Amino acid sequence: MLEALVYGAFAALFSGTVLPLLYRSKNARKASFGLSFISSILLLGFAGTILYTGKGAQFPAISFLPGLDFTLGVDRLSAGFVLLIAAVVPGVSIYSLEYTEHAKSEAGKDLQAALTNLFILAMLLVVLAGNMVVFLIFWEIMSLSSLLLVLHDYSSEENKKAGFFYFVMTNLSTAFLFLGFISLFRLTGSAELGQLGPVEPGTLTLPFLCLFTGFGIKAGLVPFHKWLPYAHPAAPSGVSALMSGVMLKVAVYGFLRFLLAVSSPELWWGILVLTAGSLSALFGVIYALKESDIKRLLAYSSIENIGIIFIGIGLYIIFEAEGLPALALMSLTGACFHAFNHALFKSLLFLCAGSVVHATGTRNIEAFGGLVKSMPVTSAFFLIGSVSIAALPPANGFAGELLLYQAFFQASALNDPLLTVLLVIALSGFALAGALAAALFVKLFGITCLALPRSEESRLAKEVPKLMLIGAAVPAAFCILAGLFSKQLLSLAGLDVEYPDLLLLGLLLGLIYAALFLAVRAKEKSEKEKRPARTSETWGCGAPTLTPSMEYSSAGFSEPLVMIFKSIYRTRIVHRPKYFDGQESLLKNGNVEIRLLRFFEEYLYIPPALAIENISKRVSRLQNGKLDSYLLYAFLAVITLILVTGVLI
Amino acid sequence: MIDPLYLEGVIKILFVFVLISAALIISTRSLSSVLNTYTVQSFLLAAVSVLLYLIDGKSELLLLAGLTLASKVLLIPHFINRIEEKIKIRRDLDFTYLEPTTSLLLSIGLILLSYTFLSRVFGDLALSRLFFFGAVIGLSLTLMGMLVMFSRKKVITKALGYLSMENGVLMLGIFVTELPFILEVLIVIDLIILVLLTSILAVGLDSSIEEYRAKIRKLQIWNGGEAL
Repeated sequence: MLEALVYGAFAALFSGTVLPLLYRSKNARKASFGLSFISSILLLGFAGTILYTGKGAQFPAISFLPGLDFTLGVDRLSAGFVLLIAAVVPGVSIYSLEYTEHAKSEAGKDLQAALTNLFILAMLLVVLAGNMVVFLIFWEIMSLSSLLLVLHDYSSEENKKAGFFYFVMTNLSTAFLFLGFISLFRLTGSAELGQLGPVEPGTLTLPFLCLFTGFGIKAGLVPFHKWLPYAHPAAPSGVSALMSGVMLKVAVYGFLRFLLAVSSPELWWGILVLTAGSLSALFGVIYALKESDIKRLLAYSSIENIGIIFIGIGLYIIFEAEGLPALALMSLTGACFHAFNHALFKSLLFLCAGSVVHATGTRNIEAFGGLVKSMPVTSAFFLIGSVSIAALPPANGFAGELLLYQAFFQASALNDPLLTVLLVIALSGFALAGALAAALFVKLFGITCLALPRSEESRLAKEVPKLMLIGAAVPAAFCILAGLFSKQLLSLAGLDVEYPDLLLLGLLLGLIYAALFLAVRAKEKSEKEKRPARTSETWGCGAPTLTPSMEYSSAGFSEPLVMIFKSIYRTRIVHRPKYFDGQESLLKNGNVEIRLLRFFEEYLYIPPALAIENISKRVSRLQNGKLDSYLLYAFLAVITLILVTGVLI
Repeated sequence: MIDPLYLEGVIKILFVFVLISAALIISTRSLSSVLNTYTVQSFLLAAVSVLLYLIDGKSELLLLAGLTLASKVLLIPHFINRIEEKIKIRRDLDFTYLEPTTSLLLSIGLILLSYTFLSRVFGDLALSRLFFFGAVIGLSLTLMGMLVMFSRKKVITKALGYLSMENGVLMLGIFVTELPFILEVLIVIDLIILVLLTSILAVGLDSSIEEYRAKIRKLQIWNGGEAL
């Protein structure tokens, strides 16, 4: 019965992929997104039941290669991530019904609909994969379909660069995964993704490092994060929501799948993961503060949240290695729950950003402002997303992070004092990142929605069509519900961790707000009765009119924080002179720019890329078009083979 | 019945001649002598298989000798001779990468290499000295054929180098692995096709070189560089 739900979802997503390609029409696209919506409802039922009952589902194995079966499997972990996918997809599919229709070309619209379905299907199958081969196959399909979606508007140079960047990074990730899986396979002799069983200590170092790097690249951990701020702005907003909300979590799922299969993780793994997570959380939010492209800002914020999730995973490993299973469970629950929450509010924010960009035609937040008047509904959803991501109670962002804070506070339970110190340092980083994230979203919401419009586009912005609003309403509702009912949700899923009831807290908060509101209203009324109302303009410091240029700008708002983290935002001065002559003595003209130093890109990514390019250039010289040379290569190869196999060994 | 030891002696003498023929293919400039050397080499191979038949008594060896005689001594040289007459090139004077002297020195190195290699490989197998020696000659002949292919310029000589390489494979097959007869037949058919193709290419190249090159360039078979 349960299996039928999954098969139904597969069928829906598959026909959603094929339909718009076969019948290239608006109705086919609508049907396609409708099918993905239906599949998500089926999956919600499936994952919910498994999490609630704790029973697994049985899928028959299909043999598709000798010695290798196409197996699917589901347990509580994968069910949790299926739930995550199923929670994001409905909003995105409703939103895309309308949003996709605004793409430039007809073919582009069809492709978007088809690829979105394929993308969802691939992510679903990665999460349900029963062995490494199935996992890798769908991992690649997931990467490639999202790559094509990133490249949907391939005419612009910026998008091409984004696509290429993403392509390289995702392939690098897959290469590491291959290495990791192969080394695991050599160790255990089995390609199943089940329990590993006891292995000799130290033998898992290579698989762990490879898988951590591979999944870390895909999840966007610092220093492998640079593809995110390029790829997310390039993709259509619905796809950005899926990529940031779900695909990054699929990488987290893969890493967790490996960690949970290991019977005894080592302590240093935890320290490494915790450090990487803390750095990602901090760097992500610090870079986001400086950003003024709305989608890029959200991408950086995704890096921060992935950092938080990895902090949770690191805590899990440390507590597990130190023999504290209750705390380990709490950290793991925190990490998974935050992953779930992040999927919800980040997809909400990307959908809202898509609406704002759709209405104003620009991604630069300095050009927004005053949208709360022209786009009130979108602004309300935006506010819900910002409150959630800033981890304000009782929204769901708070719920997930609270679990992690609770785990952190019990660091004193550890025997090793050095470890406790490390945890306290990580905790302070985590708290700092949380505070900065709150500042970041105050800025984003304030600059985007409040005050006066800063540009003509913003002033003329109109509320987006209904379907896009409904699309954003779904994750917004989920955000609030998942926050208020977090304790109930967790206990329904069978995770009884020590945790306050946020529903109670929410009610209390609501009552306090209501009481305050009423008190202010009453006071106002009584004041009014005492003195008559006077209508006049607010004092504008003596200036005759208030203009948008007098408002707080995005850069101005983050300036104090930028000053504090000055050492991180280093600048670089770039000269680009042009000369009349080859000897470079007569200056024609040129330009000089001072820009932010792209540290990771310039010091970590470009040098190896240049080295590889140089090597390739040298290797390509071997291909000189002369038959004689080719014959010589063959000859040399034979001689080398003889030497290596027969004489040297 | 002839004394096997005597036969072995004869075979060893033939080995020396095979090596000399290979050296000649590497260094001789006149095209007709290269062809003649190849014919002689193939004939020597046929003779070796007949002698081996006399020792072993395996009938495949006799068949092989017959096949070699028919294809490599008669048919293929006849074809190539006709090409040579048509293209009116009598000599192949140009060498790439290696001059003849260096090539010859290198081939001595190759023989030594094959010897060391095979003595390691066949160290455990109880192979009689004659068979081991035959394998060494076979492998060196293969390598020397490859050497001819990349060090000589003209298509005809390259084809002959390839043919001589195949002779080496045949020799290795006779002495060590005993290639199934059907495989040998297939290889011979391949060789004949190769010679036919070479004839078409070579004649085409000669009949109107400029036109042909233009055609090749148009097809972009080999980009850059000078096409053959």
